[in-house]
Amino acid sequence: MSRVKAKTPSLCTCELLTKEIVSKSLSGLREIVASCYGPSGRLKQLHNGVGGSICTTSSSSLLFNNLSVTHPILKILTTSVQNHVSHFSDCGLFTAILCCHLIENFQRLNLSSATVIKVSNHLLSLCTDYLNSETCGCRISVDFSNMKTLHCLVQSILTSKPACLLNKKEADHISTLILKAFLLTIPEKTNDFAILGKSLIIPLKGERVMDSTVLPGIVIEMPEVQLMTFPIKKLPSNALKVALFCISMSGEISDSGEGTLIVTYGVSLENAVVDQLLKLGNQLISDHVDIVVCQKVIHPVLKQYLHQHHIVTIDRVGISLMEPLCEMTGTQPIGSLNFISPTSYGYVKDLCYTNFGSKPYFHLIPNDSTVCSLLLCNRNETSWNELKLTCQTAQHVLKLMIREPLALLGGGCTETHLAFFLSHKVISVPECVLKANDCTQTEYKIVANAFCNALQAVACSLEHDKGKILADRKYGHFWSVQPDFPPNVKWQDLVSKCGCGLCSNKEELNWCLLQSIHSASQNSPLQQPTNSLKDHLTLDCFTAKLHGLQVAVETASLILDLSYVIEDKN
Amino acid sequence: MAAATAGGVGVALQAAEVLESILSGSVGPEGRQVLCTKPTGDVLFSRDGGRLLEALNVEHPVARMIVTCVSMNQNVTGDGAKTFIILLCDLLRGLKAFTEKERGSFGGSIPSQERHWKICCQWKYISQAILTFQAHILDYIMTQYLRKHFLSIFSFSGEEKKVCRSSLESLLDAYFCGRVGRNNQKFISQLTCDYFYKCLQHEDGKDEMIDLVDEYFLELCTAVTGLPVSSSKIISGFVIHRDFSVYCPADGDMRIIIVTEPIQPALSSSGSELLINSEAQFQASHIWITEKTKTIMKDLQSKGIKLLLSSVKQQETVIYYAKQNGISVVEYIPSEEISLLCRIISLSPFMPSWATSVCHISDTALVTFCRPILLNSRRYVHLGLLSTHSFIPHCLILCGPVQGLTDQHIRAFHGAFKVLRQVFKVLYLSYKVQRSNQNETSNSINSKENKQSHHLIEVYRALFEKQHLDSFLISKDNPSRTQSHLRDAPDLVLSSMESKNDIPSTTLTQTPKIKEDFESLLCSYPNKIGIVDTKEPLVAISCSCSGDSLTDIPDEHLSVIEQTCKMSRTTIDMKSKEVLQDPSQSYCTSFIQAGSVLPVGGHFEILLHYYLLDYSRQCQKPELQCLEMPNWDASLPGTVYLSFPYLHHLQCFVQ
Repeated sequence: MSRVKAKTPSLCTCELLTKEIVSKSLSGLREIVASCYGPSGRLKQLHNGVGGSICTTSSSSLLFNNLSVTHPILKILTTSVQNHVSHFSDCGLFTAILCCHLIENFQRLNLSSATVIKVSNHLLSLCTDYLNSETCGCRISVDFSNMKTLHCLVQSILTSKPACLLNKKEADHISTLILKAFLLTIPEKTNDFAILGKSLIIPLKGERVMDSTVLPGIVIEMPEVQLMTFPIKKLPSNALKVALFCISMSGEISDSGEGTLIVTYGVSLENAVVDQLLKLGNQLISDHVDIVVCQKVIHPVLKQYLHQHHIVTIDRVGISLMEPLCEMTGTQPIGSLNFISPTSYGYVKDLCYTNFGSKPYFHLIPNDSTVCSLLLCNRNETSWNELKLTCQTAQHVLKLMIREPLALLGGGCTETHLAFFLSHKVISVPECVLKANDCTQTEYKIVANAFCNALQAVACSLEHDKGKILADRKYGHFWSVQPDFPPNVKWQDLVSKCGCGLCSNKEELNWCLLQSIHSASQNSPLQQPTNSLKDHLTLDCFTAKLHGLQVAVETASLILDLSYVIEDKN
Repeated sequence: MAAATAGGVGVALQAAEVLESILSGSVGPEGRQVLCTKPTGDVLFSRDGGRLLEALNVEHPVARMIVTCVSMNQNVTGDGAKTFIILLCDLLRGLKAFTEKERGSFGGSIPSQERHWKICCQWKYISQAILTFQAHILDYIMTQYLRKHFLSIFSFSGEEKKVCRSSLESLLDAYFCGRVGRNNQKFISQLTCDYFYKCLQHEDGKDEMIDLVDEYFLELCTAVTGLPVSSSKIISGFVIHRDFSVYCPADGDMRIIIVTEPIQPALSSSGSELLINSEAQFQASHIWITEKTKTIMKDLQSKGIKLLLSSVKQQETVIYYAKQNGISVVEYIPSEEISLLCRIISLSPFMPSWATSVCHISDTALVTFCRPILLNSRRYVHLGLLSTHSFIPHCLILCGPVQGLTDQHIRAFHGAFKVLRQVFKVLYLSYKVQRSNQNETSNSINSKENKQSHHLIEVYRALFEKQHLDSFLISKDNPSRTQSHLRDAPDLVLSSMESKNDIPSTTLTQTPKIKEDFESLLCSYPNKIGIVDTKEPLVAISCSCSGDSLTDIPDEHLSVIEQTCKMSRTTIDMKSKEVLQDPSQSYCTSFIQAGSVLPVGGHFEILLHYYLLDYSRQCQKPELQCLEMPNWDASLPGTVYLSFPYLHHLQCFVQ
């Protein structure tokens, strides 16, 4: 009872929500995330005070997982970004930066939060409607018959994470592998609905990136003790019979119920169980099984017995491999040690022992299956982790692409384009919109301006080297100029293409500095670039970015709506 | 002792005022969100009064009691926590002012013993008065006067009585205005309305449906974090918050059973002992167990069972044989979900029997489909259930960027169904109409505009006499008491009017009139009770309306409120006639009809205030003056009603 303590009363405070404190902590977070953004983003090294692993990263998921923030507002922001990333894997940094900018910009306005929230909600609906419409100038549809767009998409994701430490050739190689693995998971024959297969990532740390490869089937690391090779007798059909067990074969006594067992002296239950295991082994032998795979542990006696009969045993494969194994071999995981139905066996085409790097592996080669293994190499632990995360992002994005085959222009072009679109749209706001949002024309414009500025600021945070940032008024794309160009050259001649690579500097584009378009608002509607797709585009996932935009605005509204904080200190 | 009693109301008021100041930020459509942080790092958003009060962990016993009362009230009504606190505060404030004034009249010369005794008497009197007020006057006013302002959520087309969608929408709009962030109000309210109509099988079953949804709401909705709120949706069928252990895709209708215990027989049951004599015996018993499981699963398959829902973990053998026989299995289903499923499909759990060779399957049910659904990066089971006579099974998927927000929406949604349940319920009042003559009642209602009918005067008289007798009894013990009480009454009216009106001229012109009224009332009692000047109340209401607005809200909202009043006026004319012509008007016990709603924006409070003032002028009941409070919350009659008993309890405690 001494541990029971009366609850202390909560603290009710609005101190934490004063503009100064909020903007101070927000700008701190914003500087951290904004400096990570894009291909030239700066890396962050994360380590805690008591040692432990050090991680070098510029990805939002690792950053926010390791960043412990104290201010409740930052907590909301990081949690909402983490939740977004758990759904879409991509666009975490974009969401975080946009949200920070939105809150900061809106706080600077001297308007009531009610107006700001309503208007920004309306602006968001304008954006989403535009992005979802056919006339949208900053999205392109992805053609699955032509791999070029998909390749660009994957490559953009890889190059946006400099902590992977890939050079151009390596990035190209890895993105080809990711695409290949993705294509292998698509089933050839489909009925009404297709189920995608799985591509497993196998870690090979310390190898050269160019050694990474994709293999059909499953690669399982072989424990050293099992290192023995014997010829496998093949079935006439040239396939190997597989039995997959999901229960433990370690010879433990299974659950005996709630009552008590009374064992007479001299009776050994362990022996009884092992006896039973050997009987099972006999059945496996008589059924001509070639490979026995077990999720858990196989008793050494049984293992030995099976080896004597030239049956390969693979145990401790773990739950995560069970589903791909079932799918690849067509087995049913066996959950009984007494009876095995002949229908629960499956087949593989071949089993190889191979060495990758210095480690031996089993390679189960399927007949025809949608399971493949991506052997991913990178030089060291931390860059491998980043590469793995990026590959998973790319795989996820490719899956999202099937549902919605659309991509948005990357490299800051979507943000600038949207900002231009909005600033053109708010030149004349219909009376009914103002009435619905309960605000005046001026108020609406002020909020819209802050919104556009936040979008542009996101695009501008792609530039980390103090370069000049421009936008064109014709297409509304993003252009950046190197900071140290020679004085005798006109900067207009230095830029060759925009951030996403869709537009080139060949026509009259009516430039302006990006941060100043709000002063001279956009008068003419934006045009669609007419030229065909270029080879090297920077692209973003449409679904992830659209949701990121929505989540950022919603989170910002949520934070702006707060009036005070109740702190429970128990 | 005297100090303690004096402190009673003071302390209570102080506690209530603290709570009021905390909640005041989130009242009404302009209210803002509050962030609650927990030491575990969780953050929670709320505009829900009850939730905020619970998060406070207040220490003060009176405050704690208030919080408990509020939560209990809100558990029933689903709304009105903030209104409760504001009402309570104003009542206490009024009482305090009243008693202080009275205490001043005692003078300083009285010995402290006597003084204390007087104060005790005074509190006793007030407590009883509030009880009487709550039981008789408030209910009376509610049925007799406010009734004509009630709108109905039903639309009447001929004989049929249907829930009017637009009324329901505006009711929900008003409710969510005070409960969720303002960028999501419209969307969530629309979603609730859709959900109501999608689940509704037919009009008669709506009460049953709402009860079911209310009871099992947490099972019926799934929170998904990381998606924008606008991705929230309603899906048909039911989502079990577990993944398949075995999934065998099947088309068409499927037969299902529910089990609540392991199918595989255990080696030994609890309370028994198993004697193992040999290794062979041990092996044989294992084989028997497996055999038995195999036969049961085969049997299930032969009966056409395609899905096994289990609330407990099943053995691996069971899973294996289920897969063999093409039966999908879901394990570890929470008991609430099982009981909801049992209720919707009216299915009792299957009990495996191992003694006989063929097991007897008592109960199976059909589902239209059963497939995995991916929510929140987790795979759940989506069941297509057949609808029952009152409920078409639908599930809610509520999305939000963070969990705090989805929690808020779930709670608000749940509250909305509690509110709907209240709305569709007939509310019986403690006040009894003394005569049930139908003609007379309807006459009195119809003639309400001009003057009170004879019948009503009778009621007044009865009430007044009773009260007079009470005060007379007290005055026998304490002669100065009645005198001071009577003398104080008009002054109190004046003070309360003054405090509420910022325009002194209005007050000045009006108070003499009231004073006159009071005096004449006192002199000529009981002959003049029934006579009411029809002009004056109108002045009173407009004045109290503007007065409130000036003190509590910025000017821009004034027009809005006036507009609401006007709008509601016009609709009242239409609706109240329908209500009045309803033949069900003859009753003995008074009640508020099911589906009665009132316009929001303080309209209810202003009306109540007006009628109370009007009434008090006739009956001389000073306590009523305390009950005037501006408030822009969604006000359902039920809410305020239910809060009054608690007010009374609170008063008793304060003694």
